[in-house]
Amino acid sequence: MPSTRTDEPLVRVDGLVKSFGSTRAVRGASFSIAPGEIHALCGHNGAGKSTVVKMLSGQEIPDDGEIRIAGEVRDLRSRQAAQRSGVALVDQELSVVPALTVAENLMLGDLRVGWVNRRRSSGRRFRTLLDSLGLGDIGLDRRVSELSMGERQLIEIARALGQEARLVILDEPTATLSDVESDYVYAAVRNVAAAGCAVLFVSHRLGEVLGLCHNVTVMRDGAVVATTPVAELTIDSLIVQMLGEAPHRLDPRSGDDRGGDADVLTVSGLSVPGRVDAFDITLRAGQVCAVAGQLGSGASDVLRAIAGLVPAATAEVRVDGVAVRPGHPAASAGAGIAFVSNDRKAEGLFLDKPVSWNLLATRLPHVTRFGVINRRRWTATLAGLVELCGLDGRRAGHSVGSLSGGNQQKVFVGRCLGRDDVRVLLLDDPTRGVDVGGRAAIHALLRDAARRGMAVLFSSTELEELLDLADVVVTMHKGVVVQRHEGETAGAVLLREMTHGAATVAEVPR
Amino acid sequence: MNLLATPSRLDAEAPHQSRRSRTDVAITAIVVLAVLAAIVMGLSTHRFVTLANAKAILTSASLVGIAALGLTLITIGGSAVSLAVSQTVAVAGMVFLSAQSLGLLPAFVIAVVCGTVITGLQGAVVGYAAANPVVLTIAASFAITGVATGVSGGTTVSPTGTGYDVLNATPGGVALSVYVLIVMALVVEWVLRRTGFGRSLYLIGENRPAARAAGLPVGRTTVVAWLAAGALFAVTAAFTAAFNTSANVNLGGTLTFDAIAAVLAGGTPISGGRGSALRTLAGAVLIAAVSDILLLRGYSTGVQIMVKGLIVLFVVVIVHLRAKGRQA
Repeated sequence: MPSTRTDEPLVRVDGLVKSFGSTRAVRGASFSIAPGEIHALCGHNGAGKSTVVKMLSGQEIPDDGEIRIAGEVRDLRSRQAAQRSGVALVDQELSVVPALTVAENLMLGDLRVGWVNRRRSSGRRFRTLLDSLGLGDIGLDRRVSELSMGERQLIEIARALGQEARLVILDEPTATLSDVESDYVYAAVRNVAAAGCAVLFVSHRLGEVLGLCHNVTVMRDGAVVATTPVAELTIDSLIVQMLGEAPHRLDPRSGDDRGGDADVLTVSGLSVPGRVDAFDITLRAGQVCAVAGQLGSGASDVLRAIAGLVPAATAEVRVDGVAVRPGHPAASAGAGIAFVSNDRKAEGLFLDKPVSWNLLATRLPHVTRFGVINRRRWTATLAGLVELCGLDGRRAGHSVGSLSGGNQQKVFVGRCLGRDDVRVLLLDDPTRGVDVGGRAAIHALLRDAARRGMAVLFSSTELEELLDLADVVVTMHKGVVVQRHEGETAGAVLLREMTHGAATVAEVPR
Repeated sequence: MNLLATPSRLDAEAPHQSRRSRTDVAITAIVVLAVLAAIVMGLSTHRFVTLANAKAILTSASLVGIAALGLTLITIGGSAVSLAVSQTVAVAGMVFLSAQSLGLLPAFVIAVVCGTVITGLQGAVVGYAAANPVVLTIAASFAITGVATGVSGGTTVSPTGTGYDVLNATPGGVALSVYVLIVMALVVEWVLRRTGFGRSLYLIGENRPAARAAGLPVGRTTVVAWLAAGALFAVTAAFTAAFNTSANVNLGGTLTFDAIAAVLAGGTPISGGRGSALRTLAGAVLIAAVSDILLLRGYSTGVQIMVKGLIVLFVVVIVHLRAKGRQA
């Protein structure tokens, strides 16, 4: 085994290129994985990791380059083709079906299970499969809904293995798991590798990358920076590879005194079971604060809970000293909290409706008198908002769905602005999927809102955004606050805290 | 990189535009042809283009139309449909006739309150608890019929007074219900277009999670829509009961599906967020007119019902294709 491991890679990726429109998402990615190797793929957001994963798993077809598995060039043009070539993907999102049993889930998408399910023969096969992952105590007839999230993730891995995989790709498998649950996954991954598979492990958690993997390929701006054995890496050197020249913020903001010291938003003891543990924050008028955290860190849950959109959340939220009834979005809105979701399509705009309707959707009481729309007020308010957001007034009657992503986001943010009754503006990843120009415009809108006395709280993973926009950055990892940064802040510190938490920093050799 | 992005985006959009407009042209052509065919059919039908026939069409459209206006509010608000329209109408009609001894107006008010409460309760469950309206109203329809059968002992209710006969009046030679239909259609249309409630209803109907996240009063708006719908069902009930001069649990007949057909034939999508009262009015009249043509040409009832289904199917497909064209 060790000899094959060094000589003959099982998977070899050579010069992969993929463009979307004029954006080159991946510009020449090459690396190779030996049998039995756990290979990490790291990179900051937008580095091109997920595009590489999609090309390997047959969800995107490369523009150029080759993928070799066991020495043969493979044409992976669909998920089925990838599966037949022995590539199995464990996705970020769980795709097990809770209502079915373990065995039934394992049969889904398994090419060897024919039209007529032969339970008995597959049962024996599944049993050995589960045992090999340390799931010996889980019966094949248990419903997946009875299992914990970690166990479900393992079932997902088992399903991937059941397809006789030679390359197993795990895309952030532990992002939403607790430490104990993650440990099960690590053990399973080691077993998989020990059986001779190649494992590609995509993760934001640098600690687990160093602890689990053999080699690390770091990508930045669509290209591979380096492939390094973990023995030669530390958290810090990994972060340097990921960031290149690390962004750094020198001068502390002078704006802290502009809104006086009145506390606008006070949140204490915010907890969401399994997601966020005892989050506290206090925001003054005119302050822009960021909650920085990767997927599963709880940053997004904090914002949603303050907006009243998480029924399970417990918290004491006060706006201008007045307590807000938790779990009721309309109550939060009434108290002066405006929320901009990270899912603009599903939970944000009314795409089929005109720009004007969307901009005024949250302030219907202000443009009506005794419930009847006052046309003069409607037009005046609309004109003011269109001006404020820098939109084209002639398009106010067009449906929002016909605008570009950046302009849609302007409408989404803009509908919370220019109102005296909004005290707190919550934005969940406000510039996701927005181009550079649109991003600058939205940042300007948010700064302007703060200058007018709003308290702005947003979540983000983009270092530049965190450093440019926020007066205060609170980093989160696995549901708890790591550190609060005011004033001078280094991007590398933020990234380390987001990807690694606080407790283990001391262990890392400097 | 940004400079490069612009032309390629324009290029990408151009074929989209032309494809969209081609679909639009095709759809418009089909609609125009269908309207022309209907006009030719009407003109060539003996006795179709007469004042008396127009009155007959409007009269037969009026009872279904008033109930369909109520259903329009429910549909636009994203609650799909109520399948308990017939049962609500039956109960409100029975109440209306048995309260006749109190006088016409009190009896009418009691019937409206009855319809409003029954439908409003269902709306509260849909609005606040996000229940599936179809399932809920099926359950409600059995509950309503059960209670009504129990209370009335399964018998037919006869009027306890004669005040109801006023509703059978025909001022100017047209049934009173036609005037009520037109006034109600205008009122509902105005409410939908010109009030904050109307705007919220359209927004909630299009995207309920977004409306919730924006802090719109989703529950309250939904309940108000159902309350108004219940009142309109009760108005239909009063007229139907007065026309029949008696009422039992089958008073509503096929009203549920007739009302749904009128809403859909008007082009209001079942998914909500779009539509109008005037469209529903047009839908009700369209169905009545086509049935009338078939009747005058001597087709059987079976053919009339089948054609009603085809009209609904035709409009629903056209609406769907147009919505898809808009999204592309």
